[in-house]
Amino acid sequence: MSLLQIERLDMEIHGTAILRNVSLSVAPGQIVGVIGESGSGKSMTALSVMQLLPDGAQCRGEVSLSGHDMLTLPERALCRLRGNEVGMVFQEPMTALNPIKRIGDQVAETILIHENVSRAEAMARAREALDRCELPADQFPLTRYPFELSGGQRQRVVIAMAIALRPQLLIADEPTTALDVTTQAEILTLLKRLVEEDGMGLMLITHDLAVVADMADEIVIMRQGEVVEAGPAAQVLAERKHPYTRALFEASGHQPERADTGTGAPLLRVENAVREYATRRKGVWGKPGVFRAVKSVSFQIERGESLGLVGESGCGKSTLTRAILGLEDVQGGRIEMDGEPVFTGQRPNRDIRRRMQVVFQDPYGSFNPRWKVARLVAEPFHLLDGRPADWREQVAKVLDDVGIGADAMERYVHEFSGGQRQRIAIARALILRPELVVLDEAVSALDVSIRAQILDLLAALQKDYGLAYLFISHDLSVVRNVTDRVMVMQAGEIVEEGPTAQVFDAPVHPYTKRLIAAAPVLPEFATQD
Amino acid sequence: MLRYLLRRLLSLVVSLVVASMVIFAMVEVVPGDPAAYMLGLNAQADTLAALREELGLNGSLVARYFDWVGGMVQGDFGTSYTYRTPVAGMVADRVAISLPLALYALALSTAIAFPAGIWAAARRGRAADVTVMGVTQLGVAIPNFWFAMLMVLVFAINLRWFNAGGFAGWDEGFFAAMKSLTLPAIALALPQASILARVMRSSLLDTLNEDFIRTARAKGLTRGQALRRHALGNALIPVLTILGMQFAFLLAGGIIIENVFYLPGLGRLVFQAISARDLIVVESVVMLLVFAVIVVNFVVDLAYAAVDPRLRARL
Repeated sequence: MSLLQIERLDMEIHGTAILRNVSLSVAPGQIVGVIGESGSGKSMTALSVMQLLPDGAQCRGEVSLSGHDMLTLPERALCRLRGNEVGMVFQEPMTALNPIKRIGDQVAETILIHENVSRAEAMARAREALDRCELPADQFPLTRYPFELSGGQRQRVVIAMAIALRPQLLIADEPTTALDVTTQAEILTLLKRLVEEDGMGLMLITHDLAVVADMADEIVIMRQGEVVEAGPAAQVLAERKHPYTRALFEASGHQPERADTGTGAPLLRVENAVREYATRRKGVWGKPGVFRAVKSVSFQIERGESLGLVGESGCGKSTLTRAILGLEDVQGGRIEMDGEPVFTGQRPNRDIRRRMQVVFQDPYGSFNPRWKVARLVAEPFHLLDGRPADWREQVAKVLDDVGIGADAMERYVHEFSGGQRQRIAIARALILRPELVVLDEAVSALDVSIRAQILDLLAALQKDYGLAYLFISHDLSVVRNVTDRVMVMQAGEIVEEGPTAQVFDAPVHPYTKRLIAAAPVLPEFATQD
Repeated sequence: MLRYLLRRLLSLVVSLVVASMVIFAMVEVVPGDPAAYMLGLNAQADTLAALREELGLNGSLVARYFDWVGGMVQGDFGTSYTYRTPVAGMVADRVAISLPLALYALALSTAIAFPAGIWAAARRGRAADVTVMGVTQLGVAIPNFWFAMLMVLVFAINLRWFNAGGFAGWDEGFFAAMKSLTLPAIALALPQASILARVMRSSLLDTLNEDFIRTARAKGLTRGQALRRHALGNALIPVLTILGMQFAFLLAGGIIIENVFYLPGLGRLVFQAISARDLIVVESVVMLLVFAVIVVNFVVDLAYAAVDPRLRARL
């Protein structure tokens, strides 16, 4: 018998249909991967099981969890089930924990809420749960606060909270999306081990096919609130009956057509660049310490080439990017474009800045919401000595080039989707016809199908505009598909550099090896058509 | 921790020094010679000079500033020009009314605002929320002196539960004294409570949208439990800020309410002293209020650290 049985579930919020006729089941000890892009309804399906839906949500159909009909149970009974029979882990570990409570208290709370035990016993069991999640007592005493832990460690605390009472079902909603690849691999291994040890069912929700391909027994593919394909993992991965499943696979491993545009002529030179920050003073009269975020990094970018920079959070890649853009000065070494320093005196070198633009990760946060698109795209003109007379024509042209169309000029960014906004951000970067564009996690926040379109666009623009790209990402598969050369950064240093294919196929440095091993991959038979 | 305390204390002292200079300078530039004012229009030049000498108005600016500050540090606030009694004693009598009144009002304000704000946030968009928001809107809008007069009409004149004004004195016993402060405290507290309830509500609503509330609910906590155990502590920080500001206002800003209820508090003292050009009293009271505000801010800073472990770690 199934542990979780969802039958013909319809859900609407204030009359808008969110889920349509969703059916899926999870058996004890089984891992079911639910895959879909944003808006596919995968998280809402999970929240329907928990009955933690937003206000105004109405469910029809059947959701049965070990015999309990979740759609008809009163709230009081649901509270007894949540945390006890079913636990849940969320995407964003940085905000999932109460910042002002100790981790021990937060884990013990799950136990105290459901069982009539003493505080001491609850704390002892919280300790046990944290141990099981590989947070040993000597390094992670119960008295730690969340802010003292890294993202991966916090996610372990959230998992410990969810499994403290050994629930029969664990729902993990994008549990590793916000984490680095090596941390992701560790968390996935942990989840797998817990499933095996406790025989619990796991509903693993993700947008990343490769993550589930590695560990799911069953796969459910969702799109726009409906299940489009479901079945045993190996079968779904091999057969891909539904066109959407095929499209999703294609997009996940998408390789844009790229012309070889490298010229061999150096454009940007970074020579022994050092970036330092002052750290907190120690004691009352102590001196501030120095943290070296970038330690003597050297490389160069050629005109027209795509150079990848990969590394995990905290490795110094963002700091290096800011120095390259001339937003901050270096404390040692030189960064030059065509022999001119990018930073002069107290500010970026304007002559250089206009030849170098950037696209950031977040398509929502990187625009002023009160400006119209025309003004947003025209903003870099302030780097010139005045806005050219034909600036509106230029904006229209570049919006056409990125596939948005000139009629977007009088609209505001909130009218556009994430993918469209990223196109507008690219238009803004291209308006001055730069020679180098820094793409700082520029496709990381996008769904795979949108990401594939943007990567195609970037490849086409590179050819038309003769651009060099510095492609910064934590996503190894994307970097592999779109760059000529790649650099691997760890703890402020570039530990390996070389032609992309060579670095990925025959990594030399142990850290590169670890990164590549940790990155989830689609099985061979699934990527070949 | 020690570093944080020392830094806060240092900034406290610096603020006090700067404030004392500003107050001294302002009183100096205000037109009106206290001696001339005391002696009236027909004063003889030599009498005036003698009085100026006696009042200590003749020395250099710097010397007089240090005299003033030095005196205050030793508890000597000088002698009132008009009443010819030590300012320290006068101020102490008034503080004995104004400080309890401010604390009383603050306690009332908190006692009303916290439950009201929490209640409204927990029932967002429902009748309770609409009611609290409506009532607090009125509470913010209605001038407190008008409300004070209304209360006098109802509770003192019609029902005769309270005296219409005046202060019984602490000699009459704690309850008699507190009773005569009750109506003024309510009048002072209501607008403050309205503001505080609204801040509490919006801060709680923000916190209830946080991811960790969802995590708490997924653990099996009810809405109410999640609110009490996880949202409340986190929502407290903006509330503390407002609370600190309100205390300062209540201490100094009771002037109108003190007039309505004939309470001989600090506000009335300042008001009378300004009309009588009794500059030494004005200086002293203002300095005292500044001192109170700075100390309250210091306490609020410490309260932040008590609430938020992230802040403690950075101390």
